[in-house]
Amino acid sequence: MRDPVRLQQEGFSQDEEIRALRAESKRIGGIASFLGCARDFSGEGKVGAIDFDAYLPMALAELQKLRAEAIERFGLIGARIVHRLGNIQAGDDIVFIATAAEHRAPALEACRWLIDELKERVPIWKKEIVADGEMAGTGDQ
Amino acid sequence: MIRVLFFGPVAERVGARQLDLPFRAGLRWQDVRDMLQPRYPDAFALVSIVAVDGERVRDEPGPPLSDRCEIVFMSPFSGG
Repeated sequence: MRDPVRLQQEGFSQDEEIRALRAESKRIGGIASFLGCARDFSGEGKVGAIDFDAYLPMALAELQKLRAEAIERFGLIGARIVHRLGNIQAGDDIVFIATAAEHRAPALEACRWLIDELKERVPIWKKEIVADGEMAGTGDQ
Repeated sequence: MIRVLFFGPVAERVGARQLDLPFRAGLRWQDVRDMLQPRYPDAFALVSIVAVDGERVRDEPGPPLSDRCEIVFMSPFSGG
């Protein structure tokens, strides 16, 4: 089974991640997920792609810490976080988070908490590439 | 040797992802910042987070740097 926390260039399968999560326990009563996608627009205009750069050792360590914190804080049964790096075309997937709990409320709350904390704490940077070539900005929202 | 790393917008403004500086006993990360900031003012204008050997540090007197340590000067994160 693949690591539940990953930084990778290639795409991911939401189905595979959910399947891996479900395989952890039959106590799971609810799974919440968040899928972040590359928008084709920003305040600067049309976006063709987004480049993601990361300080890899720290980013991975911070994601693993976040997952452990979420499991502890929300009493999760399991959680998975996959973030892509490199050049991601508009419309493609960027990040996937899935959280599993006995009940829906902690799964949903943990999922929201994880993506908010990821944006604050994980050393990853985006650069939007406008459709005709150069950088638009960080476009963070 | 002290390895200084840059990523994302800071790396773009520095024009490099890595600089190696000679090690000197007693050096702190603030000394490294004070050395580099005048050379790359535009890049350091973005810096709000610093890590030494993968751990975030505060702008207060900390232990001196060790030889072969790694310092990263980072702008606010924008993943996700």
